[in-house]
Amino acid sequence: MRTVQLRELCYARSGDKGDVCNIGVLAKDARCYELLRSGLTVERIRAHFGDMVRGAIEIYQMPNIEALNIVMRQALGGGASRTLRLDQTGKAMGQALLRLEIPVGG
Amino acid sequence: MKKVRIGAGSAFWGDMLEPAVDLVRRGDLHYIGFDHLAELTLAILRRQKRRDPSTGFIPDIVPWMEAVLPHAAANHVRVITNGGGANPERAAQEVLKLPVVRKEGLKVGVVLGDDVTETVRRLHDGGQAFPNLDTGESDLNGLEGRIVGANAYLGSEGIADLIGQGADVVITGRNTDNSLFVAPLMHEFGWRYERDIDRIAAAIVVGHIIECTCMCMGGASNFWDQVPQPWNMGFPLAEVDSDGTAVITKLPDVGGMVTTWTVKEHLVYEIHDPRRYVMADGIPDLTTISLAQEGPDRVRVSGVRGAARPDTLKVLIAYDDGYMGEATVLFPWPNAVAKARHAESILRRRYERWADRIVGLQIDRVGVNALTGRTAPEPDDPNEVGVRVAFQARTREDIDRLKREIVHLWTVGGAGAAIQAPSPPRPVIGLWPTLIPRADVPIRTILKVAE
Repeated sequence: MRTVQLRELCYARSGDKGDVCNIGVLAKDARCYELLRSGLTVERIRAHFGDMVRGAIEIYQMPNIEALNIVMRQALGGGASRTLRLDQTGKAMGQALLRLEIPVGG
Repeated sequence: MKKVRIGAGSAFWGDMLEPAVDLVRRGDLHYIGFDHLAELTLAILRRQKRRDPSTGFIPDIVPWMEAVLPHAAANHVRVITNGGGANPERAAQEVLKLPVVRKEGLKVGVVLGDDVTETVRRLHDGGQAFPNLDTGESDLNGLEGRIVGANAYLGSEGIADLIGQGADVVITGRNTDNSLFVAPLMHEFGWRYERDIDRIAAAIVVGHIIECTCMCMGGASNFWDQVPQPWNMGFPLAEVDSDGTAVITKLPDVGGMVTTWTVKEHLVYEIHDPRRYVMADGIPDLTTISLAQEGPDRVRVSGVRGAARPDTLKVLIAYDDGYMGEATVLFPWPNAVAKARHAESILRRRYERWADRIVGLQIDRVGVNALTGRTAPEPDDPNEVGVRVAFQARTREDIDRLKREIVHLWTVGGAGAAIQAPSPPRPVIGLWPTLIPRADVPIRTILKVAE
């Protein structure tokens, strides 16, 4: 099956609220949005981040702006005020997601 | 039709001053809102105030107001800031001493009520649970003796009330960031919480888009390499209609760009369920928003619907949780990655003897995985790699001891090492997010004039 790296399909911005990190995924166009909707799954995101994300992962759709919002709990090593990570506020998490490869049909 | 022009003057404690002054001077604004408080900031300010009761506000706001207020007074721009932090009354006292405030007879308003430390204690003692929204834990007793304070995120009521009383400057503590923008719109258009639910939802979206200043106009952007004059970055403003429709724009000759892409980037910033963006003033449904590029650097935001404000307010309970330290050792080619791994293994062995003093330990390789962790592949043969070591311990003395071990890598590790001067130990503050009934958080306002 053919795969494509997310950086070809979307842009991403991420940030923090406590130990919750969200990644807004902006599809480059309507076709990319459909590919992301079918291929960007909770299982793939969990496999990509592994133990960097210890809590639940949810994906919300925003069809009005052709975007997905990924919410990841217990994802920042305790949150900005106590995390030992250099990326205290999860700003790099969105860029890290862009490496993920997803299948794009047959 | 009446339009209200409102600008954003600060995204965080440490943001640029010049674009804010420029916006007040030339933006034909009615209002400008300054957000200085990130989640952690208030806890830091509370700790400062605990040591010295004359502190606890964002010290920047005094010079900031000194620079902004002459233009604000001349152009009739009203200024709203959450830089009061943990001590908004003291911040107001300092602002009232400024010559421009005395000369122009400016009225300075203060919003109080966000400090709910005693309320949470009282309700908790009475049996009310304050479950941690992040972890689900419910036992606050474990924090006994370590609580720095608790602050609720207030909505717009106090700010709008002070504007109605004629305040030229409003200083708050922990208000929601977007209330700095929602309050003036509620005041100007006479919106009511029970009647104007969609309009207030639209105003929250306006605040959400502009409250991080240049981040909606190409700052920290995926489009960073297309942004005009980033060295001359401006701040955004919104032109808002009485139905809540708004145009996000900027001054024509400053850096940055306002496109549907740069606005979309910020619409998704730090949100959870987009259908329910829960704020103290209302709950916008972010999937109802329409964006349109109606001209160069002009994006129209319309169609926002939402739900009525919730009966609860978000609270962050801050507590002391020991100390943190970090240091970085850099290794050069050849075999920089291998030298970094070698240094890590030495350090882990040497740390075994301090195991009982280490609360948390993280070792990353700068240039390899320090920002993106396990998602990053190993590079082939980089020119240099840093070993960044971060650790948490209970006391400053333990932090110093652990830090010394990293300095030893200079001589016991691989060839060519350089050490970045380690930073001093810093306190770790835990944040416990929870909810409190709105009815338990009365808001008070004070309006002062220079004597």
